[in-house]
Amino acid sequence: MAETYAMKRIELIVERMAARRAGRVLQESGVTGYTVLPALEGYGNGQTWRRDADISGSSDMVAIVCVTSAEAASAALDNLAQLLAEQIGIVTVNDVQVLRPERF
Amino acid sequence: METALATLLSPIILFFLLGLGAALLRSQTTVPEAFAKGLAIYLMMAIGLKGGVEMAKNPLTIEVVAVLIAGIILSFAIPVLAFAILRATTRLNATDAAAAAAHYGSISIVTFVAATDALERLGVEASGHLVAVAALMEAPAIISALVIISRMDRQPKDRASAMADADRGELVREVLLNASVVVLLGALFIGWIAGEEGTAGIAPFFTGLFQGVLCLFLLDMGLSAGRGLRNGWRQLGFGTIAFGLYMPVVSACIAAIIAWALGMPAADAALLITLTASASYIAVPAAMRLALPKARPSVYLTLSLGITFPFNVIFGIPLYIGMANFVAG
Repeated sequence: MAETYAMKRIELIVERMAARRAGRVLQESGVTGYTVLPALEGYGNGQTWRRDADISGSSDMVAIVCVTSAEAASAALDNLAQLLAEQIGIVTVNDVQVLRPERF
Repeated sequence: METALATLLSPIILFFLLGLGAALLRSQTTVPEAFAKGLAIYLMMAIGLKGGVEMAKNPLTIEVVAVLIAGIILSFAIPVLAFAILRATTRLNATDAAAAAAHYGSISIVTFVAATDALERLGVEASGHLVAVAALMEAPAIISALVIISRMDRQPKDRASAMADADRGELVREVLLNASVVVLLGALFIGWIAGEEGTAGIAPFFTGLFQGVLCLFLLDMGLSAGRGLRNGWRQLGFGTIAFGLYMPVVSACIAAIIAWALGMPAADAALLITLTASASYIAVPAAMRLALPKARPSVYLTLSLGITFPFNVIFGIPLYIGMANFVAG
């Protein structure tokens, strides 16, 4: 089995309008790359939401996924906490194993 | 009465009612998101080109410039009035009231298109420069709302914390370069430069299909409005719901006085009144999520899309055409 290395995986589900801001926060925290995925529908804060229910798209949610070092993840979480004080969203962090640590 | 009946029984309003009813009955009917966005771009291109071609037929006069300036002033002023009314008559906090007020100063291009269609059914055509007025009325209301909130005590601190320089740049782009402004003004200029002869080749696509595409889009708008109303009405008190119904009429009265003062023809006055009475549900909600993230979308979107938009499309347009006929003598 190939050797693997410990990294942190951050998953952020945030409103689309804050996605660019979240991306900047991740970059400034030392994260070298991230991927944005569309969210289709969900439930939270007592009500359901759907991607196609709001013609402005301003209520759309996206998921942002990145894998990074423990140091960068720590900095990113501090900065994301400030962002999420204002914008709708949640953030989770997992321990993951990666094959090529130099990419992160 | 005839105007009201002709508007209500037009296919575009009937398709809107179909979508509205389906969503209120919890039907799962949807128009695919990307398709709906394509329809919106088509409609803005078509209305922009048509306006530009009409503008090319006439020179740019001082009267036209006066109407453009009047539109900008109305867009700046209406949010101030709407904010004062919301604070006096509802329990909305300053941030929610400012965000909702911005929607009422900005415009709904679909309401504008529906009013244009209603006028054409009555055999009258408005001047092309009203499309430019529509585009110019999109953004000032957002600036007004931000000025209002920055003047409220304690609120600037909240906003400042969310707005770094890069974020401010993003907001400016969203306000000044959103799809409505870019496509509408761009198509207007293209129509203006190319004129009737130059656009003859693309006319079948943009005029021949227009009514059908408008029906499709109004079906989607009905679905969106119905879903918004169904999900969000509980967030609004009686005073707020009433505001969504009387504020367009208040704005319409102010625009009617201005149209009378400027001596506008009835069809042009009808469109200026409709623009002033309409409320944004595309450009402003996006800008508000960036600039005032603490404002609740369930309040301002339900008001503009779930209450004011259906009111304007079903009842408002015939009323505004009547008001325009009255002030134009």
